[in-house]
Amino acid sequence: MEEVKIDHKNIFYPPGGILIWILIFLELITFGMALLALAYYAKQSPEEFHESRLLLNPVYGTINTIFLLTSGYFMAKSVGFYKKNELKKTNQYLKLTMIGGLLFLILKSVEYWMKIEHGYTMGYDTFFSFYWMLTLFHVIHVVVGLVILVSVYFGINKKDSDTKLEDVEASAAFWHMCDLIWLILFPMLYLIL
Amino acid sequence: MKDSNTKTLIILLVLTVAVGILSGLESVSPFWFMLILGLSCIKFLLVAFQFMELKKAHAAWKVLIVAYLLIFFSAVSIVLI
Repeated sequence: MEEVKIDHKNIFYPPGGILIWILIFLELITFGMALLALAYYAKQSPEEFHESRLLLNPVYGTINTIFLLTSGYFMAKSVGFYKKNELKKTNQYLKLTMIGGLLFLILKSVEYWMKIEHGYTMGYDTFFSFYWMLTLFHVIHVVVGLVILVSVYFGINKKDSDTKLEDVEASAAFWHMCDLIWLILFPMLYLIL
Repeated sequence: MKDSNTKTLIILLVLTVAVGILSGLESVSPFWFMLILGLSCIKFLLVAFQFMELKKAHAAWKVLIVAYLLIFFSAVSIVLI
């Protein structure tokens, strides 16, 4: 079968399409500004933020980073196989991608449950207000990403599928965006304050 | 021969573990802060350029993503240090 190609060197056709990249930059700017606000408040009360930050377990964060990065790798492989019209391998890697996302959500839920059990809820202090708002906002993106991947999975496996390469690439770009956000969120919340 | 995505994943995992270990060595100092955030920025670029295939995109998109990271890194450094 012939390999599908798009001219990504055209400024209007970045991988996934221009609209998804506008969305990605808007999301990155939003999270970036929230993290700057976190840094500002941390500078105002360094001891409070440092003590609260130590209540988080970086091991959970590191394992979740590994889940997301591995899931992103599977997504990249899946897109690669879709371009070569190898549907079976595309499906396999897409399923692995979704498993990675689910593992992230399961571990995050365990972490949330432990925080709630110890009383470190949104109202505990300023650090935990940021922690809950930023991580929950990110979790919502992961859930939306998973829903998109499920719809892509069924879309490409439909008889007479009308799913285009750009749809698959856009879904992949959204999924990778969750990685990008987590990669700046994780060190700011878990490691450096 | 491993493909470039697999190589990238290996580098990303090594950097993730390295950042995890580094963060446990010392609590707070500007050097560790810059190092940890810097390594995270490298991971960010690897995901964007390799997994998101930004390396195949028009130069404007590459400049935009690098500019975003530079602005973010500088702004956080100015606020925190």
